[in-house]
Amino acid sequence: MNTKRKAATVAVAGTAAGALGLGLLAMPAGADSAPELPEIGAQQLVGSVLKTEPPAMSGTATVDNELGLPAMPGVPALDAQSARVYYDGDGKGRVAMEQQSSELTYVLGDKEFWSYDSAEGTATRTALPADARDKHRSAKAAGADPTRTAAQVVDRLEESSTVSVDGTARVAGRAAYELVLTPKPDERTLVREVRVAVDAEKRLPLRMSVLTHGTTDPAFEIGFSEIEFGPQPERLFEFSPPEGTKVTESEAGRPDGPRGESGEEPQFRVTGDGWDTVVLTRVPQEMRDRAQGEGADVEGMLDRFGKPVQGEFGSGHVIETRIGTALITEDGRLAAGAVPEQVLRQALENR
Amino acid sequence: MTAHAEPVVAGPSQQEGPALAARTRGLRKTYGRTVAVDHVDLDVPEGAVLGMLGPNGSGKTTTIRMLLGLVQPTEGEVQLLGHTMPERAGDALPDVGALVEGPGFHPFLSGRENLLRLAAAEPRLTAAGIPPAVDDALERVGLSRAGGRRYRGYSLGMKQRLGLAGALLVPRRLVVLDEPTNGLDPAGTREIRSVIADLHHDGVTVLVSSHLLAEVEATCTHVAVLNEGALVAQGDLTELLESESAGLEVSTTDVTAAVEALRAAHLAARPTPDGVRVELTRAAAPDVIATLVGAGVPVYEARRSRTGLEDLFARLTQDSEEAPTWTS
Amino acid sequence: MDVMTKPARRTAPASRLVRAELRWIFRRPRTLAVLGLLALIPVIMGIALTVADPTAASSGGPPGNDGGNLLPAAAASVLVLPIAALTMTLQMLLPLAAAMSGADALAGETSTGTLRGWLLAPVGRAKLLLVKALGVATFTLAAAAVIAATGILTALVINGDGTLSTLSGTTLSIPDAVGRVALAVGWVTLQLWAVGAIALAISAFTEHPMVVLASVLGGVIVFTVLGSLDALSWLHPFLLTEVWWSLVDVLRDPVPAADLIDGGLKAACYLAIGLSLAYARLVSKDG
Repeated sequence: MNTKRKAATVAVAGTAAGALGLGLLAMPAGADSAPELPEIGAQQLVGSVLKTEPPAMSGTATVDNELGLPAMPGVPALDAQSARVYYDGDGKGRVAMEQQSSELTYVLGDKEFWSYDSAEGTATRTALPADARDKHRSAKAAGADPTRTAAQVVDRLEESSTVSVDGTARVAGRAAYELVLTPKPDERTLVREVRVAVDAEKRLPLRMSVLTHGTTDPAFEIGFSEIEFGPQPERLFEFSPPEGTKVTESEAGRPDGPRGESGEEPQFRVTGDGWDTVVLTRVPQEMRDRAQGEGADVEGMLDRFGKPVQGEFGSGHVIETRIGTALITEDGRLAAGAVPEQVLRQALENR
Repeated sequence: MTAHAEPVVAGPSQQEGPALAARTRGLRKTYGRTVAVDHVDLDVPEGAVLGMLGPNGSGKTTTIRMLLGLVQPTEGEVQLLGHTMPERAGDALPDVGALVEGPGFHPFLSGRENLLRLAAAEPRLTAAGIPPAVDDALERVGLSRAGGRRYRGYSLGMKQRLGLAGALLVPRRLVVLDEPTNGLDPAGTREIRSVIADLHHDGVTVLVSSHLLAEVEATCTHVAVLNEGALVAQGDLTELLESESAGLEVSTTDVTAAVEALRAAHLAARPTPDGVRVELTRAAAPDVIATLVGAGVPVYEARRSRTGLEDLFARLTQDSEEAPTWTS
Repeated sequence: MDVMTKPARRTAPASRLVRAELRWIFRRPRTLAVLGLLALIPVIMGIALTVADPTAASSGGPPGNDGGNLLPAAAASVLVLPIAALTMTLQMLLPLAAAMSGADALAGETSTGTLRGWLLAPVGRAKLLLVKALGVATFTLAAAAVIAATGILTALVINGDGTLSTLSGTTLSIPDAVGRVALAVGWVTLQLWAVGAIALAISAFTEHPMVVLASVLGGVIVFTVLGSLDALSWLHPFLLTEVWWSLVDVLRDPVPAADLIDGGLKAACYLAIGLSLAYARLVSKDG
């Protein structure tokens, strides 16, 4: 073989192999065809999910949202976040939310719940009541006949939705049934359907997707991109804060979360049922004051992300995403739901 | 160029000739539409010092690079020390030393370190043999004392000599030097000449390319002339020069009578400032002299005219359109 | 003659060539300057972070800092500083260093005429590429190792003992931490081999080392820009630069291996492309 031809052969072969490799790596996992599984009824599937104790496993869960919400400055981007999840099959777990170069870690151990923020170097420890896990277990055990519970659940769901098993899918390399909830036609909602992929063998929900009208890509999806079942090392469910960490103690039953310092709990009220449920609440005055005090331009931000609206309820801003809408009035009332703006207006006006 | 000129070949024909250190047949190299080398059949006899002559851009360096396997010929074959190039470069090149297109060394290393790096790639040297070989080579080109200095600080002549040392790291059967005296002062040129003479004395074949004719005339036994990519003459230097000068210069006071007498004898003659010049194509020198003496023309002196290499070169390379047609 | 071996040997042993190549690389003032500069980066990072925020040296990180940044914790940790420095330099400086090495290896040697010397020795072209690739590989390993080493030293000097906490809040044993840094160095080196292989391929096509440097620099910038365009998300899995942030995963516990493995395999693909193009060009190239 002459040199030129040999050179060309090597160039083409090597480049093709490399490009092919990149192509294979770029292929999304689970793009392969839907697996063949024995038929199963919706009720039976729901029943088996309720019956199953989640087994010990580790995996990566990914949130993928295409809500159509603009990125907000200072607020971490919501799209395509991923978290590593570890579960020992017996009530202990660990979740690590990956940020680009830091991590939020939550560890649920035997007697304590820890949260740790590596960017801030802070940790919060919450002691759990000694019987917390037992209660949880017995509740589950006392869940009586899962078949009956399943029937009840499905009945409840069927008041507003059509529940069906619609084919199969492959999620994180595992065969899964697709459980589909479709809102009844008279439901006033933005949601077209919700699909839940259930592992065919372990009966663990692996993925939930929310689909809206007019598009085939889910508006919101949370699911495992990788999952592996099997015992996890015990050390994952213990936590001792690293040297130099600021540790805060928190009361039981109140894992850290935004709380009004005055202790004033926001009041929630719900109107409607099924898919057109609307949650009504009032943004605590103190929170608004604080935002103002910190120099956050609340009005400017609302102007940017929402559009001003007026009606019998007064005036305010409406923020729309593909699966939900929120309406905030000037006087701090807030209505939100997976519904179009019109439903929120009615909810506010009918109070 | 449609027809290829038959180059001048002096000396015995190739078949029963001496072994060849390098040989090309139908060698051709084109770069796009430019023909750099065109059907060159070069013979480098073993033991010869062959001077490759040609104006700039005549294809000397390209031919040498193809000989050494650096460039893949478009057409034709190359034999170097009996091995086909570039396929069998591994068999041929260890016995070949070369300095092509000027010396190439790293400026931040000393001359000696540069040679050590080059010597590491010499198949004929053992690891232990490298340092002495480098020192010998430096000694040979007179750089022993400057060996520790950085190459960056070398003069043009020193660089050239270091390049020569690189070609002479191990005893060679063939040494190829492309313009070895480039940039050298007269003393440096003499040194190179003496190195070439030594190599010749040791039976090493040397191929030197040059555009300096005096250089080639002084050092070479053989010559090959390239013009516009074609080989227009090659062979033993002395024979080539003689074949070219088939004329007799006769000094006489009676030029008219001399020309008349010769023309009467059907001999081509033309007057020169101090006599006549007679072409020796039809008659031998004694016949010419006898004719003149018979006609009563006073002959003071008669000698074979010897044109220098310069004349030969000028004739071969100036009118390339009409390639020379003479043969031996 | 005692310096002669059997005439049967047609080419010098590869090990000897590699040694000569390494001597050449590491004797070169430019190489040493680049390594020195890279060695300084963790020192500068460590000092800057300590000066900017004295609490960083004693506590895990300053409170109230806007999250999402590795840097605040870096100065404090013998584990984090080397990896933060590697992550930072991997975005630009290390690829440039790899490109420089690849540029010198073929284009630079062609321009000084020194490549011809080895080709005439003779060194076969495949072997030449092997030696050159090993040279680039060694240099990039040295570059990554130097950053890790000065990173560890700097953190030790600033911090005294050294905390070995991961982003997940666990504390590593010393061998484990050393293993993590070694893993990071190895992974970065693999990425740099990929860049170096592409640089060698470009290097084989030109005799101007600057062309190689400019192409790699341009390539890294273009890849980074493409990687930041959401509209081109289908292209992102093909961009080598996109995997470079995964290095941070080394600091998580347990190490999420998926992205690191994916990045390693992508680097291997680029390596195959680069080396095969470099080989193809080198064997057909005029010397």
